[in-house]
Amino acid sequence: MIEIKNVTKKYGNKKAIDDISFNVNDGDIFAFIGHNGAGKTTLIKAMVGIHDFESGDILIDGKSIKNDPIECKKLMAFVPDNPETYEHMKAIDYINFICDMYDVDQETREKNIKKYAKLFDMETKLNDTIDSYSHGMKQKIVLISALAHNPKILIMDEPFVGLDPKAVFDIKEVLQEMVKEGKIVFYSTHILDVAEKLCSRVAIIKEGKLVKCGDMKSIKGDKSLEKVFMELEK
Amino acid sequence: MKKLISLIKATMTSNMQIFKINTKGKKGKINIFLVSLIAIYLMGAIFGYAWYFLEKLSLMHIEYLILPLATFLVSLFTLIEGIYKCGPLIFNCKDDQLLLSLPIKKNIVLFVRLFKFYVFELMFNTLFLLPVILAYIIFVKVTAISFYITTIIMLLLLPIIPIILSCILGFMSSYISSKFKYKNIVEIVMSFIYLLSFLYLYSQGNKIMDYIMNNASNINDMITKIYYPAGIYSSLTTNFKILDLLVFIIINISLLVISIYLLSLFYFKINSNLKEVTKTKSISNNKELKIKTSSKTSSLIKKELNTFFNIPVFIVNAGFSMILYIIMCIVLITKLDGLINMINSTGLLMIPSSLITNNMPIIIFLIISLIAYTTSITSSMISLEGKNINNLKSLPVSAKTILNSKILACIVITTPILILGCIALIIKFKISIINGIMLLLLAVLIPLVNHFLGLIINLKHPKLDYESPTDVIKQSASVFISMMLGGLLVLASIGIVIAIFNKYNTSIILLIVVTFYIIVDLILYKLLSNIGPKEFKKLNI
Repeated sequence: MIEIKNVTKKYGNKKAIDDISFNVNDGDIFAFIGHNGAGKTTLIKAMVGIHDFESGDILIDGKSIKNDPIECKKLMAFVPDNPETYEHMKAIDYINFICDMYDVDQETREKNIKKYAKLFDMETKLNDTIDSYSHGMKQKIVLISALAHNPKILIMDEPFVGLDPKAVFDIKEVLQEMVKEGKIVFYSTHILDVAEKLCSRVAIIKEGKLVKCGDMKSIKGDKSLEKVFMELEK
Repeated sequence: MKKLISLIKATMTSNMQIFKINTKGKKGKINIFLVSLIAIYLMGAIFGYAWYFLEKLSLMHIEYLILPLATFLVSLFTLIEGIYKCGPLIFNCKDDQLLLSLPIKKNIVLFVRLFKFYVFELMFNTLFLLPVILAYIIFVKVTAISFYITTIIMLLLLPIIPIILSCILGFMSSYISSKFKYKNIVEIVMSFIYLLSFLYLYSQGNKIMDYIMNNASNINDMITKIYYPAGIYSSLTTNFKILDLLVFIIINISLLVISIYLLSLFYFKINSNLKEVTKTKSISNNKELKIKTSSKTSSLIKKELNTFFNIPVFIVNAGFSMILYIIMCIVLITKLDGLINMINSTGLLMIPSSLITNNMPIIIFLIISLIAYTTSITSSMISLEGKNINNLKSLPVSAKTILNSKILACIVITTPILILGCIALIIKFKISIINGIMLLLLAVLIPLVNHFLGLIINLKHPKLDYESPTDVIKQSASVFISMMLGGLLVLASIGIVIAIFNKYNTSIILLIVVTFYIIVDLILYKLLSNIGPKEFKKLNI
């Protein structure tokens, strides 16, 4: 479970996130929505321990990301909005590197790397260096390395950008498989129709403040998620 | 014209970010103070050297020679630096797609890139030449307006020839290496060939000078034969002729125009070819996947080594010192007498052979100090993480482990060579076991100072949003500050040796130096352990 408690993050005097609180439960696929610059990436970076925040706390399965960052990070995998990797590395070396950081045993990593490489059509390309890849292929490598260590919580920042339709379809399948096992998927997105179909819960953020949070059905009611979002943006 | 100015402004702003420092608040004031201190120290040191040489030259009434000499040296450095810079500035620009999609003539894009390169080299030249010119003006009490006119024109035109040559050599490296599978290795070999060629020419200086002196009717003629701009500067300083100045201006402008014209014929074709080769160099293969488990530290070290060995400019920067060290060791082992004779034949120093052989442990200490000081790796290791820093911070591994792995990677890169060279010298010169052990300790302890210092400074002054690794490795504030502080520490240790040289025997001197370095290393390690994780946590892009 992720508990976000009164989190405030400032850049200079400007509040990028203003006293945000909500929970993400086990088995949730959670969509985090907001316009550009609303504070989505800032909150995600705080959740995965990339940057600090001024007040409040974020608990990952009861552990504070502020006080116990390593234990929290062990439970999570993060997929950033831009697939930044070590470009000079071979893809397989990069995935091995990430697995080493999460202490993934040989058997699990072999099984998972092969499974996800096959799923994303990357099996024959893992011996290439990442700098020869397209944006979408890099994104697939980041996804494979994130999934290879069986994270309990998968946090993604706009994960579908640059991916081909088959890869998007396959990821959606993987995410649904994960939540069936009681894992958490939390992701930010601008593709509202996908979020509407895929996610069980949603939070909408505007200028650093949480404006809506709850079950997808109760938030959108009879309307589409896009309509709800556009009304809130007015 | 409006488009051109706008384009220059936009591209310059993005490239000048590398020099940007935080000037706000208390930290900003400290930054301004530090940068000013370094600038004053550097320019003051050049001024001091120039003054020293002027005093020597004034004995023969040839003070004006300082100007062509400085011009020649600065041009040579500009050329060497330019070979690295022309990669990211001319041939491998990140803004290719953006600029070529805009409604601008391609020649304007090329001109803007060359102009940017020119401005960088102009800044570099001015930083080094200005203190020399100032020393000359004060020393000689120059009043002639013609001198000031010549100097301004000289400063403005001086970068042209080196940047044209840099472009040719840089292009050759990029083009040849792009034809090979292991592009980086070829690029590294080419860089070493250039550097060793310069070193060879430098070592053959006496022969070249003899030839020129025999074939030149006067001193100005001689300098002109070495390097035309330097010669013309010398000639205009002693005997100003407006016609000579005009010829110099016309030659430089013509060279520039011809170069732009010739480059524009091939530039975009070459550039797209280079990019195509980069894109297709990696061919998918069905080789067995190596899926294997490693410890966190060993995996992090491998990552650091991978970064190091895949950035040619990084290898050349550190590797050149190591190659110099190997050459020094070989020369000391095989040609010590010849070396002493060569130094003595210059007339600058008279070194009795016994002084060297009796104090070989001290000589080895000095060599290790020099090499360690010029091998700065950690000072760019944090910056080179670039946008990956966020991923690294999201991993379940402590900042301390990450920082320690960077230090360990540097030890893996530098220490084996230093130790092997040291062992060879210890055996050759039959150095006692006690002194030998202390020299081996110094081969570990001295570079460690640079590793710790570089990492601490890079954590304080990171440049994560760099355009090209060359910006970080060659031009960043972190590398500069590390070199300065590292230099001061090495000077301090050499100062200690000089102060106690006649008071104690070699073993005691080495023991004192080992103790000095153990203390400095412990202080720096403690500092890194305390402030490192805090600074690492602050890194963000």
